[in-house]
Amino acid sequence: MQIIQSLLLSFGFGLITASVLAIAAVGLTLQFGVTNYINFAYGDLLTFGVYIALVINQRLGLSIWVGLVIAIIATAILAWLINIFLLRPFVARNSPPIIMLVVTLGISLILQNAILGIFSEQFQSYAVNTGTTLHLGPFLFTPLQLVIFALALITMLGIHILLRYTRLGKAMRAVSDSPELARISGINTRFIVNVVWLLAGGLAGLSGVVLALNVSSFTPTLGFGFLFVIFAAVILGGIGRPYGAMIGALVVGVATEMSATFISSEYKDAIALVILILALLLRPQGIFTSRGRA
Amino acid sequence: MPTIVFYILTLATFAAIYGVLALGLNVQWGYAGILNFMYIAFVAVGGYVTSLLMLPPAQPALLGESYVLGLNWPFIPALIVGGLAAALLAFIVGLLSLKRLRSDYFAIVTVAVALVLWTIAGNDTALVNGWDGISAIPQPFFNALNLDYNSYGFFFLGLCIVILIIVYIFSERLYRSPFGRALRTVREDELVAQGLGKNVFSLRLKAFVIGAFIAGIGGALLVMSVGAFNPSAWTTGETFFIWAALLLGGSANNRGALLGALLVPVLFSEATRFLPSVSSSPQLIDALRYIAIGILIILTVAFRPQGLLAERRFKVRRSKLLAPELAAAGGGTGIHVEDEVIAAEHSNLVSPDSSAGEDREEEASDGR
Repeated sequence: MQIIQSLLLSFGFGLITASVLAIAAVGLTLQFGVTNYINFAYGDLLTFGVYIALVINQRLGLSIWVGLVIAIIATAILAWLINIFLLRPFVARNSPPIIMLVVTLGISLILQNAILGIFSEQFQSYAVNTGTTLHLGPFLFTPLQLVIFALALITMLGIHILLRYTRLGKAMRAVSDSPELARISGINTRFIVNVVWLLAGGLAGLSGVVLALNVSSFTPTLGFGFLFVIFAAVILGGIGRPYGAMIGALVVGVATEMSATFISSEYKDAIALVILILALLLRPQGIFTSRGRA
Repeated sequence: MPTIVFYILTLATFAAIYGVLALGLNVQWGYAGILNFMYIAFVAVGGYVTSLLMLPPAQPALLGESYVLGLNWPFIPALIVGGLAAALLAFIVGLLSLKRLRSDYFAIVTVAVALVLWTIAGNDTALVNGWDGISAIPQPFFNALNLDYNSYGFFFLGLCIVILIIVYIFSERLYRSPFGRALRTVREDELVAQGLGKNVFSLRLKAFVIGAFIAGIGGALLVMSVGAFNPSAWTTGETFFIWAALLLGGSANNRGALLGALLVPVLFSEATRFLPSVSSSPQLIDALRYIAIGILIILTVAFRPQGLLAERRFKVRRSKLLAPELAAAGGGTGIHVEDEVIAAEHSNLVSPDSSAGEDREEEASDGR
């Protein structure tokens, strides 16, 4: 059965895409849950991580895994700085979400084009060995993809432990649920917001590098293009819900890859966009009913 | 024609067309407060449809381009239908999304729709010749007038200015009409508008569609001025360009829209041409432009959210608001009425402090 075979194969690819997507989606949804505005610049934070790792990998000649760690730290710090200097002033003025979106749009333009200006539009790649393709049952994976998958699993586990078993995680959930109540309960909301930005930035950096590894060659528009796929996963899972984001990432990742069996692969991204549009129109609160934020 | 005249001609035409585009966006953003990031898609639809109607039938084997339509229409009908096509797209998108979504989610849907359209336009070569796009687009009245290339340039500029004036007058009338006032009420405070019995959704949808129609017209002119069109001309970034122009120039103020259209696209695009191109990275200038746009957006929203030319304040004499008997009675009933001028400040559109339509009384004795 040719079609079953290619469906299974694309399911495997979908799992890898879902892995990359899950890391990014969790970051975005955590940040939205706590701050209640959409960050249009999130995709460009991914790109930032990608190019930090590129510089480490290419210019300094170090292993990409070193680059990965540095990218995570650098992006986390950048996200944190953006919050302090660019976003918090507007939040302090009680700006409506639409204005916050506009500000993050401005940040996106600046960040994306700064990278574009420095690195130009040419395709870049990491110097990394993908290893020989392995046959695991009906699936076809390179060792690199398996590493990506493992990284995603570890990250998801880490997030789960953080949210469920640590005081910090519980505080984050509290602020996400109701900032006022959290503040009254004695939680330092300002601190939590900063932590969330650090975390979201770190996750963005990680997912960026992993995405770049998965697509092997990339340009500065990588993150921004991926942003809408991330939105699709986040909205589908219910915005502000990390576990929903993981499921959403799985659905979107697998759906986009498996759709390539039937339609031309150029439309893969369009599938994610269609999912996003349908999710927003039909079920903006996500498939797991959450407090209606749409 | 001396180069400088040609240059100014091109610049002026571009400015006029961008003025039309800014006015259209103003109806959506300035009047109605709709954050629409697919505006450039409306521009593109108008441009494509008008061109496709005016082009001769496609001859893929002969000329290497394949596209739909190609009906050899004259300019004015094609222009109107182009605008209507854009309006139709807006109607569909708005009908499905405007009612249900809060404004920032709606913005995301619009970007997604624009990207989907963009992907389809690029990949489906039979539609509008894919990424290569269409070219050799006939220009309005070119054959009828039989002018040489240079003189035609002046004619086209004149045509654009005429259309700009028509759109400007239309937009101004719209602003002052009951529809315009209702729209601005919705923009300022949706609940109040609903309480007054206004159909918020219907008003917003109408504004969305009207703005799109104007965008379509502008798009047609834009495509005609260049003579060719392909998807790289209408990436998502272009919407932000027009949008930043409007934001800076002055939202909800048509003169502000025109000012923004003059400053941002024209000045930015053209003035930076005079900067020496840094030889190591030719795309640096382009990137710098967008960085400047981003900085401009943030600064504008931070320090001057209403834009350079703010929306005009709505002034009314207090005595006109009171019942005539009270105003006349004045001191007799113990009610001291001063004929003050009340100026309502439009603050809700982009200002962070949501003091929706707070009335501030200005002491203005009228010389009694």
